[in-house]
Amino acid sequence: MVELDKLRSTAADTVSRDDVKYLLGWQKGTFGYRVSPCVVEKAEDTENLVFSPLCMSNLSTYLTLAEKLPVPKGEQPDDRKVALMVKGCDSRAVVQLLTEKGIEREQVVIIGCSCRGIVDLKKVGEKFPEPLDTVDVEWKDDKIVFKLPDGEQEVARDEVLADNCLVCQYPNPVIADVQLGDEVAPAENADDAGVKEIEDFSLEDRWEYWEKEFSKCIRCYSCRNVCPMCYCDNCVLDRLSPTWINRSVNYSENTVFNLSRAFHLMGRCIDCGECERVCPMGLPLGKLNRKLAEEVRKKYDYVAGLDPEEKPFQASYHPDDQEDFIL
Amino acid sequence: MSDNFEPNIVAFLCNWCSYAGADLAGTSRIQYPYNIKTIRVMCTGRVNPLYVLNALQQGADGVLVSGCHPGDCHYMEGNMYARRRLGLLKDMLEFVGVDPRRFQMSWVSASEPHKWKEVVEKLVGETRELGPFEQFQRNMINW
Repeated sequence: MVELDKLRSTAADTVSRDDVKYLLGWQKGTFGYRVSPCVVEKAEDTENLVFSPLCMSNLSTYLTLAEKLPVPKGEQPDDRKVALMVKGCDSRAVVQLLTEKGIEREQVVIIGCSCRGIVDLKKVGEKFPEPLDTVDVEWKDDKIVFKLPDGEQEVARDEVLADNCLVCQYPNPVIADVQLGDEVAPAENADDAGVKEIEDFSLEDRWEYWEKEFSKCIRCYSCRNVCPMCYCDNCVLDRLSPTWINRSVNYSENTVFNLSRAFHLMGRCIDCGECERVCPMGLPLGKLNRKLAEEVRKKYDYVAGLDPEEKPFQASYHPDDQEDFIL
Repeated sequence: MSDNFEPNIVAFLCNWCSYAGADLAGTSRIQYPYNIKTIRVMCTGRVNPLYVLNALQQGADGVLVSGCHPGDCHYMEGNMYARRRLGLLKDMLEFVGVDPRRFQMSWVSASEPHKWKEVVEKLVGETRELGPFEQFQRNMINW
């Protein structure tokens, strides 16, 4: 368990360092189960920071999202570090960014928090409808405690955890300057039930399933915007010449959009589950990403976001890569 | 599916091996099915998966990517990258329910016109069996 006092004092110490610009953390939201990301610049503001099963957002997205304004003539660029709080999966996102040289190690201070899984608000909403007042939620052994206005409720973790947390193998940060909380054991069951379910379908049934799902997509690009790995300056989806993917919303274009995004994340996705969480239409994007990550692990023995020194998966090869599919 | 269905196959051939191999098949007067529409690329490593998806969207019934044997690449390692990336594209297509025979890869060197003929015949035969590709084709959308 990460103690809040410890977390806040560590955050305060970090923010007051001269070489730290600001700290990215989580603070209590304004209603219900919401917890929002926040930028802390002063030590006294760290009082608002929280760490709970509601801290879903992956803050490493903001590392590459931050706007880099041109430096006025005669001024020095602000090259102070950015401190951020990470869960296990977020730390893998940071490592993957380091692998791809998206950021430099010297640019970040990482405060790692061991995480016992975050909740899926859709699953929680079915059990306890979201109240207007903010609700505190805590981990307690194998349960999650909801401090609702009409009394405390305890629920088994497996019932409300997000799908990706149920199979999480890296609950502890793989890279951290400061480590908070005790080590957490990885999920016992690494096999994703959702992916298995689709693999058991026949080809026709698989397409029937995905056609239904992809047809729902409204192409809001939330999944791309929230993804810590989607940080290209010139995204293929925004490019008009040539237009590989039309902007019209229909299952044909939606399929190609979702497949190309999954392909771009192949060997890079660290399964933080952000795309699935923000999707307003509830597409099971995590299943697609987890399936590809599994194939990459099985066939090429590569797991994304573990070693910053490793070469990126799609920019490397091995002479003995499998080629039984080649005619 | 009508009996006289003729598959439409888009083939991305590498300039240095497979395109020359197909060319040699032509100059050697080796007969192979005419369902193949070839697109010459400089290397299989430059075949973007979007090309494959786009071909399927725009009416191809099958896609072939063909290049040099591993180790023979004109650019030393382009086909190695292609093998990794496109192999997983095949897995992904299979996962969403596209028949894996719709997208094939082959190694055909410049001196293998007979292998080229075999590959094309196999591909055309299989695709003819599968019938037209209708899963996410653009013109299949009925408003």
